[in-house]
Amino acid sequence: MSDHRERFALALSDGWRFADLHSTPTEIRTLLVRDDGRTLLERTPHAGSVPTIVDLAPAAGWDEREAHDRDGVRFEGHEPLRPLLDHDLRLDRWTVPVHGHDAHQVAVGPIHAGVIESGHFRFHVVGERILHLDARLFYKHRGLERAAEGRTLDEGLAYAARACGACAAANGIAYALACEDALGLAPTPQLARVRTLLLELERMWSHLNDIAAVCAGVGLAAGNNRFAALTERARRLNAALTGHRFLFGSVRVGGSDLLIERVVVHAAREEVEALREESRSAWRELLFNGSFQDRLPDVGVLDAANARILGAVGPAARAAGVAEDARAAASGLAYDGFAPVVPKRAAGDVRARLEQRALELLQTFEVLERLLEGRIGPADAAPGGVERPIGVGRVESARGATSCVVERDGDRVARLRLRTGSYANWPAVAHAAVGNLLPDFPLINKSFELCYACADR
Amino acid sequence: MLTLLRDLRRLRRDTALPQGRPASIAIRHVDAGSCNGCEHELTLATSPYVDLQRFGLGVVASPRHADVLLVTGPVTTRMREPLLTAYHAMPEPRRVAALGDCALGCNLLGSASELVGAVEELLPVDLRIPGCPPDPERIANALLALLEPS
Ligand code: SF4
Repeated sequence: MSDHRERFALALSDGWRFADLHSTPTEIRTLLVRDDGRTLLERTPHAGSVPTIVDLAPAAGWDEREAHDRDGVRFEGHEPLRPLLDHDLRLDRWTVPVHGHDAHQVAVGPIHAGVIESGHFRFHVVGERILHLDARLFYKHRGLERAAEGRTLDEGLAYAARACGACAAANGIAYALACEDALGLAPTPQLARVRTLLLELERMWSHLNDIAAVCAGVGLAAGNNRFAALTERARRLNAALTGHRFLFGSVRVGGSDLLIERVVVHAAREEVEALREESRSAWRELLFNGSFQDRLPDVGVLDAANARILGAVGPAARAAGVAEDARAAASGLAYDGFAPVVPKRAAGDVRARLEQRALELLQTFEVLERLLEGRIGPADAAPGGVERPIGVGRVESARGATSCVVERDGDRVARLRLRTGSYANWPAVAHAAVGNLLPDFPLINKSFELCYACADR
Repeated sequence: MLTLLRDLRRLRRDTALPQGRPASIAIRHVDAGSCNGCEHELTLATSPYVDLQRFGLGVVASPRHADVLLVTGPVTTRMREPLLTAYHAMPEPRRVAALGDCALGCNLLGSASELVGAVEELLPVDLRIPGCPPDPERIANALLALLEPS
């Protein structure tokens, strides 16, 4: 049984990277990825206990804690194995002890002061300086993965997609790709096109929203309003194209039913061009706002080394200089020739994360303008591949690489695992908060702009 | 000082601005387990296109300052207590609005053991705003009804 750890270590030395670990009542499953997009799923029977891999891949920390809470698996060597999903435990069971002169705790949440999702943060501080942060999320845990079990593969999609309204397309497509991988289906170029379009429409409104959120975090009402107005236009565009502002209902396993007439596609393209120009000018205004810009550097730093250690993904990792993007090697999607961007000043602070959104928006506009050409008709995934019991799907959501693993039992879901970019990045938020002032946390948090719903499921 | 106040009053009377509604409402939002879609639309309801604030509707930081508790999501078992705590922290009279199909108990997804269900299971709901999610205009229109004398 200990070969779980050995095989994982071997794979790491072979150039594979950790992407996910989850449990079933009898197995531990570890997902690894390579730069070229290939994935490797290692399965090990656990009988209640396996050696930890958290020292080899600290990014697996949350995954092991979740597997323990969910299926009671012990991870030898992962000490203390703190609960993640489980609540109602003594404070000292889930927080890190921080002692010293004047060290004290500040508890925030689960209900926050604005229109924000629910989650609890326990700051260990001296004065206003944050020494450590324990995040207790999963207040919004709906047990979606478990509830999907026994449903048909088609029905299962909703459980992945509605895990998060902000990442509904990304989560839904990752799920569809996983199912198709298991069913031996490969998306045709037409299907790849429509799904890529959905992913980038989602990224467009998300990134516009995230820039607005940082402006709000600084208290710059003008910037916030301008980018919020652009976000509204991006969501209206979603509705014009797909009938839903968050693209709900646009993804299906094995194909796509979206039908968008040429004139509508053409008008959408013009709106994307207009949004590109207007966000450019809005961005320029932010650049020339000295008091706004002064607020951003050196706050909430996540450097490249720590981003790698913690397994950070998406804009947060790229803003630290880690040029990884699942789009660069995506299969079943239309990202040919896509190369990740990183900012010139990849300092991994609030400013770099903000700039990263602006850079990625330019890419997104470009991809959208390329894909919004001609009518969009129904599309299918083509049979001919190998059928297998477990399939894997990976996409780059607005928050980062998202993996979905679906085990099927015939045409039903036996086990669903959704590991989103937000799930991957929450430990990085806690890390980036350390050393900063408590009042800076909202700004730091907004610069990551992670979903709680995506992590809690 | 008094002259200043008198001038100000005259200025207000003389300007051609439309008269505001004679009421305002303070809203406290609680996410009881949503998918975040309802939050994103609520956020845009306060942005330039709809701008709830101009009608006298504002989101406030504490339930102690709130007239209305605006709840999103199916209530999860873990959010049950925090939601009730927020409600009981509100001054009376207080009202509860359920925002989105999940909060109304429609089409719920999840494990039975993790969900309490509709907001109505826990609190008296005065205003229902259906939709998955309801868009910002719909949210604003529904909330404006709260300004009408009941
Ligand atoms: S009603 Fe729809 S948008 Fe709102 S929380 Fe539920 S699933 Fe999400």
